[in-house]
Amino acid sequence: MDIEKEYDSKEVLQMVTFNLGNEEYSVDILKVQEIIRLMEITRVPNAADFIDGVINLRGKVIAVMDLRKRFGMALADDSSEARIIVVDLDGLTIGLKVDAVSEVLRLPAEKVDPAPSLSGKSDSDYIQGIGKLDDRLIILLNVERLLSEHEKETLNRVADPAA
Amino acid sequence: MAMDMEGMDDIIQDFIVESSESLDSLEQKFLELEKSPGDVDLLNEVFRSIHTIKGAAGFLGFEQTVEVSHVTEDVLNRLRKGEMKLTPQIMDAILQAVDLIKVLLKIIEEKKCEEKVDTAPVVNLLSFILKGGEIPADSVDVQEGAEGTDEVKAEEGAEEKGVDDKEGENKDEDIAQPREQSPSGTPAAQDAKEEKKSATARGRDKEYSIRVDISRLDNVMNLVGELVLARNRLMRLGTKLNEWDHENEMVVQMDEAISQLNLVSTDLQLAVMKMRMQPVSKVFNRFPRMVRDLARLKKKEVELVIKGEETEVDKSVIEEIGDPLVHIIRNSIDHGLEPPDERVKQGKPRHGTITLTAYQEGRNIFITAEDDGKGIDVERVKESAVNKGLISKEEADKLTDKEACDLIFMPGFSTAREVSDISGRGVGMDVVKTNIAKINGSVIVDTRPGRGTCITFRLPLTLAIINALTVEAGGELYAIPLTTVMENIRVNKNEIKTMNERKIINIRDNVLPVVSLDDLVGRASVRSESEWMYLVIVELGDRRLGLLVDRLHGQEEIVMKSMGEYLKGTAGIAGACVTGDGKVILILDMGGLLDVVRSRYSTAGNLALK
Repeated sequence: MDIEKEYDSKEVLQMVTFNLGNEEYSVDILKVQEIIRLMEITRVPNAADFIDGVINLRGKVIAVMDLRKRFGMALADDSSEARIIVVDLDGLTIGLKVDAVSEVLRLPAEKVDPAPSLSGKSDSDYIQGIGKLDDRLIILLNVERLLSEHEKETLNRVADPAA
Repeated sequence: MAMDMEGMDDIIQDFIVESSESLDSLEQKFLELEKSPGDVDLLNEVFRSIHTIKGAAGFLGFEQTVEVSHVTEDVLNRLRKGEMKLTPQIMDAILQAVDLIKVLLKIIEEKKCEEKVDTAPVVNLLSFILKGGEIPADSVDVQEGAEGTDEVKAEEGAEEKGVDDKEGENKDEDIAQPREQSPSGTPAAQDAKEEKKSATARGRDKEYSIRVDISRLDNVMNLVGELVLARNRLMRLGTKLNEWDHENEMVVQMDEAISQLNLVSTDLQLAVMKMRMQPVSKVFNRFPRMVRDLARLKKKEVELVIKGEETEVDKSVIEEIGDPLVHIIRNSIDHGLEPPDERVKQGKPRHGTITLTAYQEGRNIFITAEDDGKGIDVERVKESAVNKGLISKEEADKLTDKEACDLIFMPGFSTAREVSDISGRGVGMDVVKTNIAKINGSVIVDTRPGRGTCITFRLPLTLAIINALTVEAGGELYAIPLTTVMENIRVNKNEIKTMNERKIINIRDNVLPVVSLDDLVGRASVRSESEWMYLVIVELGDRRLGLLVDRLHGQEEIVMKSMGEYLKGTAGIAGACVTGDGKVILILDMGGLLDVVRSRYSTAGNLALK
């Protein structure tokens, strides 16, 4: 009991960190089901452009989102270290393709700042905060938002096919 | 009532499930009874079922259910003793009581307790019958019949008591009576014997069957699917290993083990599929009642003949065919069958016949609904379709009779001059087609003017495993459900012409629109400039279309998998399957793909694909 309380008072976040280009991102370890090597991805026509396609995860077919495409970054030249982070959100399983997975990080909550809003828009809603660790800046992603925002976009597109 | 105990919920649930099942089978028996009103065995059977429900409801304290079943039971008791004759009016009243019990059960199921429902009309009507009251011949409405009988209610209690006592006496006597006595004279003797029989039967049921949550079965089904895929992969590896070194002792043994696994998993797959199979009687059973009610309402005489109801189909298929059949039978009674007098004039028997048949042929289940009515008036179908603006006059003139028949499946189509409460709103047949297409089935209409109409559903045995044609386009593999594929043709490049910048082809004097699959899935064509290519002719409801592909890969049995919540509803993709070597192949949803093409054409300012 006492130990739990201690955790509560000075919360430590456990994050899986990964790279996209020169940037360092992370997601909550509790959302991560597993990390797998890049495998053959079957393209899905008419799906959103940042959806690379689907893969066979031990018999289950899951969608793979390319985070570079999702964030509007140029495609990577080297995919030798690329991994798929399989996240599970209340039964919704989806893979996130990243350049490389680096480590599991314990990040004290007090070291996390809210995301700086530069554009004034809520564009960066899926950024939960920025973690500062020594001289590193780690972007904390909110995976739920990442997906739900996409859903909103899809809905808009369906409503207006000409767009 | 104190229903908040944990265990009570389970007991109530069991009561509801058992009672509902027994009510469903009761309906069937009532209708048989109507055909042979003197059948004492049947009367005894229904009497016992109602009695059981009354007993269980009494134990659980559902007073209204007890009240309704009690008075129903009394009427039945009179009937089985030959003290009353079964007339259609009495049957109507009994059926209403059965419906009322169903309503009560539904409320109990939802609320876990009884709620006040107005049972008075039905109870009064039945009590009125008990008193030997005559119901006006055409009084189908309960309200009317019951109104004058309020004063009867007071005496009801006393009377019932009398009947109950008599019943008790009878039973005691009967045991002492010799068995060979004529059953009509001593129905109760039969009763006692039957009771013993059914009691042992029920006992056996309890021992040999258990109720399993359907989601658990689905889970087993999924796992078996996985196992089959793993086996396929192993088999491929085995073949490779064999090619590499077929002398090695280990390889030979491995081969044996794999073929053993192959056998066992095929059997397992079959066994699991069988677990989900249910007889079509589950659906068919609800039609006798419906046909009877509709026929009475429409003042037509209809006999329903059911054949092959023991044929077994996957549960998911069973769930989907109910509504389509309802629409078709309604149509048959409303539009197909003529009124009795008109039938006689045409030299047909007074009563029309609707025949429901189910049979299995290979990997398909066929369900046909046939009537001997006037058939579909092709000219009127065309006329209505033109009037409703579904097709143009010129198009209508060009249609063959068969094509015209298919018009009835178009959304919004109806020949009915006025909308009745049975049919005519123009949604029915459209629902039939879409529901059947949803489970990868097809609908075939066969009609002969003056002789009748036969509508056939061709359905897959199971939905989990489907037959598919795998094709290659734009360097990617796709699977097309075989049920939509009519034929595959190798065509010369020159045979494909264009009209309004759309590709068309003339196949045996039929002009079909042609689309390239690589175009549909948004891939640049990688087809080499070869003279020949492959055309897959797909049929979608009333439309046919040629699909150009680079290569045909062959026919395969695939396990359909959803692509998950995230990609569900992607236009043109029905799902995905995993091949033996672990690759994912997408399964095309031709209807959805066509919509994609259509919207693309219309935004490009072109005519939409017809």
